[in-house]
Amino acid sequence: MSATRGRHVEVTQASGYWVGRFAAMASPCEVLCEAPNRAQALALTKIAAAEAWRIEDRFSRYRAGNVIDRINTAAGAAVSVDAETAQLIDFSRTLYELSHGKFDVTSGVLRRVWVFDGSDNIPDAAAVQSVMPYVGWQRVSWQSPTLQMPAGMQIDLGGIGKEYAVDRAAELLRQASDLSCLVNLGGDLVVTRQPRFRDCWSVGIESTAAQVSLPASLLKLKVGALATSGDARRYLLKGKRRYSHILDPKTGWPVPNAPRSVTVAADTCTQAGMLSTLAMLEGDAAEAFLAAQGVQYWCDRGSEFVLDV
Amino acid sequence: MSKSVVVSLVCALMICGGCASMGVEPWERDVLARDEMQLTTDPVEAALDDHIYFSKEASSGGRGFGGGGCGCN
Amino acid sequence: MANDKTPIVAALAAATCALLGSSLPDPVQAQEEPKWDFNTALLYYGEDNDRVQDLSLNILARRNFVDDRFLTAGLTVDALTGASPNGALPQSVAQTFTQPSGGRTYTISPEEIPTDDTFRDSRVAVNVNWQQPLGRLYQLNVGASASAEYDYVHTGLNARISRDFNQKNTTLSAGLALARDTLDPVGGVPLALTPMRLADRGDDDDDEGGGGMSANGWSSKESKDVLDVVFGLTQVVSRNFLFQANYSFSDASGYLNDPYKILSVVDGVTGDAVPLVPDPVFDGPSHLYLYEHRPDERVKHSLYLQGKYNMAGKVLDLSYRYMSDDWEIDSHTLEARYRWPVGRSSYLEPHLRYYTQTEASFYTPSIVDGAPLPGYASADYRLGNFDAFTVGLKYGWTTNSGNDASVRLELYQQLGDIPSQQLIGNQLGRDNYPDLNAIILQFGYRFGL
Repeated sequence: MSATRGRHVEVTQASGYWVGRFAAMASPCEVLCEAPNRAQALALTKIAAAEAWRIEDRFSRYRAGNVIDRINTAAGAAVSVDAETAQLIDFSRTLYELSHGKFDVTSGVLRRVWVFDGSDNIPDAAAVQSVMPYVGWQRVSWQSPTLQMPAGMQIDLGGIGKEYAVDRAAELLRQASDLSCLVNLGGDLVVTRQPRFRDCWSVGIESTAAQVSLPASLLKLKVGALATSGDARRYLLKGKRRYSHILDPKTGWPVPNAPRSVTVAADTCTQAGMLSTLAMLEGDAAEAFLAAQGVQYWCDRGSEFVLDV
Repeated sequence: MSKSVVVSLVCALMICGGCASMGVEPWERDVLARDEMQLTTDPVEAALDDHIYFSKEASSGGRGFGGGGCGCN
Repeated sequence: MANDKTPIVAALAAATCALLGSSLPDPVQAQEEPKWDFNTALLYYGEDNDRVQDLSLNILARRNFVDDRFLTAGLTVDALTGASPNGALPQSVAQTFTQPSGGRTYTISPEEIPTDDTFRDSRVAVNVNWQQPLGRLYQLNVGASASAEYDYVHTGLNARISRDFNQKNTTLSAGLALARDTLDPVGGVPLALTPMRLADRGDDDDDEGGGGMSANGWSSKESKDVLDVVFGLTQVVSRNFLFQANYSFSDASGYLNDPYKILSVVDGVTGDAVPLVPDPVFDGPSHLYLYEHRPDERVKHSLYLQGKYNMAGKVLDLSYRYMSDDWEIDSHTLEARYRWPVGRSSYLEPHLRYYTQTEASFYTPSIVDGAPLPGYASADYRLGNFDAFTVGLKYGWTTNSGNDASVRLELYQQLGDIPSQQLIGNQLGRDNYPDLNAIILQFGYRFGL
């Protein structure tokens, strides 16, 4: 598989800022910056793109030979990992504990039976049960830097990787420049510094309810991060029931009554992303969970739209 | 009358000729971006004034379109 | 392990810190931008001597969309009352006039400038506008407007395109507006330069059956078309200074008379209005008055210059407008505003305006009895020579809820001057020009939703 095909950046001028574009992690990505010229904008975009691609290569479960592939193909053998991977695994274990088992990096194997393509292909209970023995962090032995899990289990850091990449890229941009940049990897984004020649960066949050490209909200972001979980196009529909693509690793079934999407504002993209993911996993209680965290969030349940500031 | 129009146009062209050398860099727009530096700070007040003066004087418009649209006394 | 309901933010922040291997960046600052911006105002405009009073309610709503696209919709409701000069000259004797409806008469005391106080109206005006970028350099604005009074309907369309140059420091724009206005005056449209009619209808009812031409040759409806073209230049000069220059062309054609305005017919020696023998049956005017007549086309050119200069937070806004038309009216308007911050969240803004115009070529205070009728004639004070001054002060502040409020009080004064060579005999000793004093009081409130 030609993993690196299409890896280029392009820069265009917008009204008062520059936009650098590239593709990473199967998403359109951009770097908006208040650079005085194209060369600086290009240099900054390249920094962000290189970091996004590095993290994609390292932690994508689709890349043969990387650390995730080694873990997932170890067939029960212990695998020793590098420091960065160990930090990510530590982090996901903390999330597993904080979420009482709802956030689980081993739940990716459920996608063998659940394919969210908008159809009505609901798997039968037996099929779901057949993969459940391979789901559950409690079956994993993790003594940093060594990980060992039963054959047939897999881990997937996709639920953390994009937000982590945004934060890493943002940190590199902060080190490289005093300019305000907005790093956006497929909708998860960070503003690195307060803009100088404008009040803020304006970000639209799309509503899944509207078919047209109307944003449900416009946000003025001076500094900080936004992350969104949920995807209007990834669901299954059987009868009148809509099955969200958020799977509960404890049951193997979609979380009932999960919001269609949740957007959270936080200091870092990682925090914002984890809070929005955990909120989705709370289902009915998503808003209550977010309100208890004391963060700004936008919760989209289709028709209604709940805002808390 | 037509003479004054010609003079106006010449003025506008002269102003325009000097434009390329004027201006600020994008990051120097902090002051210009403020509400009070917009050419029309209060659109409602501007429209009300245009309407009052349209109905009391023989001239109208200038800032934008001629205004009016009333049989004002 | 933590209780199910215990917030996890603190633990998450610590874990994130460990993951990213650095101290956390600045705390997030995000604010939801209001989708709607409402700009509202309540305005009182009042002239002295029981002349026009207007109470006006205004709402301008603006919807923000992504990618710098905006929808704007405005609504204005006016309630007007009061008297307006009808164009006749004051006399040493009482004067009686027929109301525009043709139903009754009204009488003006000696030495008073005649005004018609049957003037009562309400007006509703709406406009919508859509603004969006076209590519990176162009911006498009399209809009429509309409207004209705009981005797006047306006409809209009407009479009404007602008292009940025020189890193957005220079913007050139071109705009076009078309309007079609229809007049349906109370009592019909008078025939130009014919005598004011008798009060022969016996009622005030302005319902005009059928329409079209009536027996006296009056029509019930007239219309005018207005074409406006504007070319504009906006230039950023420095971090603190920008200006704009607009050239506008306007062509109005159709019925341009004011159907309610008349002229006194006067004796060529004494200058006194020519008295009429009363009609044996109907009430009617005491003197001879003719309905005014203006050309059916008017072409205006104007140049507008505006500069804004920021001096350490204080903003000076200066503008000048020159207008000239083929009715031979020339006008100059000078305007200055100075915005002066007071404390952190309020400001004072004094406002001065000076306006001067020359009279229209067919402006005349009266028509001489027995002399050939002029082709066009109007005694409308707004087509005469006059100067006008506005002095105002505005105070604006940000409320505790973060919205903008303002109040302004302005005084507007018109001082007219009829050249003495246009006055005859006894007219010379009188104050013939209806000078005007008005106050403008406005409350403004702007909020987002």
